[in-house]
Amino acid sequence: MTTVGIPRALLYYQYYPMWKTFFEYLGAEVVVSPPTTRKTLAEGAARVVADTCLPVKVFVGHTVSLVEKCDRIFIPVVRSLKSKTYNCSKFLGLPDMTRAVVPEAPLILEIEININLGKRRLYQDIYRLGRQFTWNPLKVREAATAAWQAFLDYRELMYHRELTPPQAMEEITGKLPAGPEITPESPRVPRTTIGLIGHAYLLYDEHINYQIINRLHQYNAMVVTPEMLAGDTIEASVNKLAGQAYWTYEEEVVGAGGHFLENNTDGIIGIMAFGCGPDSLMMDMIHRQATRQKTTPFMCLTLEEHTSETGVITRLEAFMDMIHRRKQRGKAICV
Amino acid sequence: MRVSIPHMGHLYIPLKAMFQRLGIDYVIPPVNSQRTLSLGSRYSPEGLCIPFKMTLGNMIESAEMGANAVLMPGGYGICRLGYYTRVQEQILHNLGYDFEVIQIGVSDRKFFGAMDMLKRVSNNAPWHRILSAFRFALAKLSTVDQIEQMTQKVRPVELVQGTANQLYAKAVHAIDNTDDYDTLKRTKADYLRQLNEVVKNKQARPLVVGITGEFYVVLEPFSSFDIERELGKLGVEVRRATYISGWTKFSYFLNPFGINEKSRIHKAARPYLKRDIGGDGWESVGEKVLHAKEYDGLIHLAPFTCMPEIIAENIMPSTKEQIPVLTILCDEQIAKAGVLTRLEAFVDLLERKRRKQNNVLRVTA
Repeated sequence: MTTVGIPRALLYYQYYPMWKTFFEYLGAEVVVSPPTTRKTLAEGAARVVADTCLPVKVFVGHTVSLVEKCDRIFIPVVRSLKSKTYNCSKFLGLPDMTRAVVPEAPLILEIEININLGKRRLYQDIYRLGRQFTWNPLKVREAATAAWQAFLDYRELMYHRELTPPQAMEEITGKLPAGPEITPESPRVPRTTIGLIGHAYLLYDEHINYQIINRLHQYNAMVVTPEMLAGDTIEASVNKLAGQAYWTYEEEVVGAGGHFLENNTDGIIGIMAFGCGPDSLMMDMIHRQATRQKTTPFMCLTLEEHTSETGVITRLEAFMDMIHRRKQRGKAICV
Repeated sequence: MRVSIPHMGHLYIPLKAMFQRLGIDYVIPPVNSQRTLSLGSRYSPEGLCIPFKMTLGNMIESAEMGANAVLMPGGYGICRLGYYTRVQEQILHNLGYDFEVIQIGVSDRKFFGAMDMLKRVSNNAPWHRILSAFRFALAKLSTVDQIEQMTQKVRPVELVQGTANQLYAKAVHAIDNTDDYDTLKRTKADYLRQLNEVVKNKQARPLVVGITGEFYVVLEPFSSFDIERELGKLGVEVRRATYISGWTKFSYFLNPFGINEKSRIHKAARPYLKRDIGGDGWESVGEKVLHAKEYDGLIHLAPFTCMPEIIAENIMPSTKEQIPVLTILCDEQIAKAGVLTRLEAFVDLLERKRRKQNNVLRVTA
């Protein structure tokens, strides 16, 4: 039986249930790399040039940790999911880059998803991927349908029950959430709602964002993330803020940010990686919009491997203090 | 409407000619300077690349001179540059300028997009005038590029340093001032002859260094620390594949007919990078592979935080075709002296390598 390795980074958080279903349906075993640790990051950072962004360094680290454990590594290339959109070069060059910087890696399975080329091409590409495991096109087709269904279920679960991707994955795999019961630090702080925007690979990787979700829970905050919003609400605010959508994964920043700015959140925290191409423009757009509206406080945390945990905590504390003060006064004073 | 343009190399010459012929009210912003860069980086989001900052600086400077519109490339299918027009327009509005950033689509509707834009900017000038102005602009563009290519050849071997640069500056000025084909032709012949007649060191076999990387920094000398001239001073011949005239020729006229000047480069890059990653990343890898035998070294220019070039930079060291590569990241924080030191070291390395090869040849012969 072939084992397919999936690095726990980048698109993993959005699509893992789908990929898992697909490969398992075709009779492969799926291995996921363990959660990010300091070692993963250090190993990744040592292999790529210094200006590469943090999530890609983490990705390379995860790939390295998979080398011994599997016969194939799955690295998809997502170019566009809607017509006339485009993705960051780092996603487009990922398999080739991995091959260059991790030469000992096993065979890399790749598939290019590009809606602009039409459905037919997409089906052909899926079949080409499935052919690594079976010659039977019907079986690949069934696997793809099952995978798509798994993806829809996963999205549905996150949207309806307001779960974060890791929680939803635990739900699907049947494991009970192992996290400790949330106890707010002091009952005196009012209950707040904080919108967290950013790419899934930054929001849910607890090592690189210093457990920001947990920390916010400790401040008695309810955290809403882009995954908990319906697709069309996001799209509407993308169109409103940025005009025609341009990036493949900008919804989770611009769409969610625009939505949170208008819908009763007490504050918004944006998380971006240093040197992120799309985010450098998109976070700025949300920042400008927040400054213009002057109703919801906005803070942007830029992460890289030199970010210190203490620095993040201090900024978070200051931000939350400000929000609590605002809440208690019941008045809008803004940045 | 008073139109202006951002600077990129000598792109202003053909555009100026076109504006003049069409009777468009235009402003050419002052040449790129430290002030341009400071203005640009002051008002830009911090994580953006130097092309954004420089062009924003140009826009602010031209707005100060009374312009209220600027032509700027953009659109789907390239790197994040596609989105710059919108952000820049917002920044200018926040600064209080009533300014329109007109987007020229670089990937879709290439030629026709440019024509439509000209029609609009020129207040509905008749098509034949637009086409003739466009043709004249192209003629100027290719003339400047030819003279530049010649200058690159002369620079490293001239006996009196600086002659070629002086001639080039004069030629650019002369071309800028011509307004008919005849004078243009004569100017071109005249300067090509003069460049030919520069006293050269006949024995010199200059090192050949290729320049590749991101379009803007390769073409805009200010953003890449005048690297070609500096290399010329060190006695190195510079070759590059990117010229504006070549780009317009292919992407406006030949690509629609399936002729792609880059297919050779892409083919060379394919074993290491299978697909277009936006920007010029694919070409950078391809040029390394393609010219590994021809050149002595390669200088890879990229703006800091440029997404495609980072991928290229990661892939380049692993190619089988080996050639020394020096990656220089261009940013407002980098000092020219630092770049010069690196260049000198790089050239030393190439010279040593060549000497060693020659010795080996002598021993075996």
